[in-house]
Amino acid sequence: MSLLDSEAGKRRLLSVEIPVIERYNEGRDPAFQIRLSRLGGTLVLRYCLKPGHNIYQLETRLVSSYPTVPPETRVLTALKHCPHLLEGQTLCLWRQGSTRAGSRWDPARFTCIFAVQAAWRWLACYEVWHETGEWPLPEAK
Amino acid sequence: MAHLLQVGAGSGGMPVLDMLCRDPKIGRVTLIEPDVYKPHNVERHLFPLSAVGEPKAELARCWLLERRPDLVVDLLPCDLCDPAHQDAIDVAAAGCDIGVCAADNEPAKYHWDALMRRHAKAWTLGEVLSGGIGGFVHWFVPGGPCYGCVASHLKRSVKVENEPSPDYSQPGGPVRETTIPASKASIQTIASLHALITLALLDDPARYSPGFTSMLLTLQRVPEVFDEAFRPYRFRVPRAADCLICQARPTPSSVEELDVALDQALARLEDA
Repeated sequence: MSLLDSEAGKRRLLSVEIPVIERYNEGRDPAFQIRLSRLGGTLVLRYCLKPGHNIYQLETRLVSSYPTVPPETRVLTALKHCPHLLEGQTLCLWRQGSTRAGSRWDPARFTCIFAVQAAWRWLACYEVWHETGEWPLPEAK
Repeated sequence: MAHLLQVGAGSGGMPVLDMLCRDPKIGRVTLIEPDVYKPHNVERHLFPLSAVGEPKAELARCWLLERRPDLVVDLLPCDLCDPAHQDAIDVAAAGCDIGVCAADNEPAKYHWDALMRRHAKAWTLGEVLSGGIGGFVHWFVPGGPCYGCVASHLKRSVKVENEPSPDYSQPGGPVRETTIPASKASIQTIASLHALITLALLDDPARYSPGFTSMLLTLQRVPEVFDEAFRPYRFRVPRAADCLICQARPTPSSVEELDVALDQALARLEDA
């Protein structure tokens, strides 16, 4: 399935992803709403999150093979290097793995907003780690 | 006689294909397999060392015709997900009686599931667990649970590995889970189960009801994962009412209307 080129991908966007993005944006301060842009076969979500004291700019990419391949989220705001941060300030949100059991992403149940919420949780952990040196989620260690 | 469409003739797919095509019910096969036979395949494959360097699809055709000269074998030596070959794959799916998925990666399984649902075909899937500690066989029929329903259910209800978390201090480092091969004996056992279920499903897809939709057969005892070896677990996975893969949601019926609606929706949300 190619997200922006195939009929199945377009139906997924129109019936699942876009409605949940619009619901997320509804009543939200415009500075924190999700904006979209197309980048080849990839759909890019750009947004800001404020998990605690700081505001972070982020982008989540729905690659052409989304949703079978999980979205990729990176923080555009400069971060201090930490163990759960991959190359290009990409967040380690789903366990990296090729098998069903090895990945936390579930294309049958998760939408792109789940990725946004996961990024919020990651950033909240980052702020705790920044102050204490401890990542507060034991299962991520 | 039935037309079988199979994706994958690797170490798991080839024995399934071999066993299915020895059955007189199968009269025609279309095989989707883009890979070339490599030296590391020899240990677990049916083909000899002398075949290294040959396309697996061609080797499979020769193997089958040596045993069933009457069999019609069509080859699609392409990647299942390659957009350039979707028309040919669609034609093959439309004409088949049953599908067999022996793909070894998740995107290909979802792609196959979508293909089979689009053409309303019954299909089966075999999966050997890392290290050969056991394996799954799943069967699917039109209107039943999709691969997304099954994968989502099993992800939550079954533990099939007990590996440490990746080393997050080494982002981009090797992923250990993909480096534990299964033995030929383990692969053959799950392939035999896969072939049996496929042949039974082929007899009457509409009424096939073995009491499960997915079967897990353990082959080894693994502490904290499987209590004992050679134990079958039968799962009756329902179609999930909230599955984002297979549950129909209202969208425009024509492709043109779909494009217009999507463009309008994206325009509302695009960067200013």
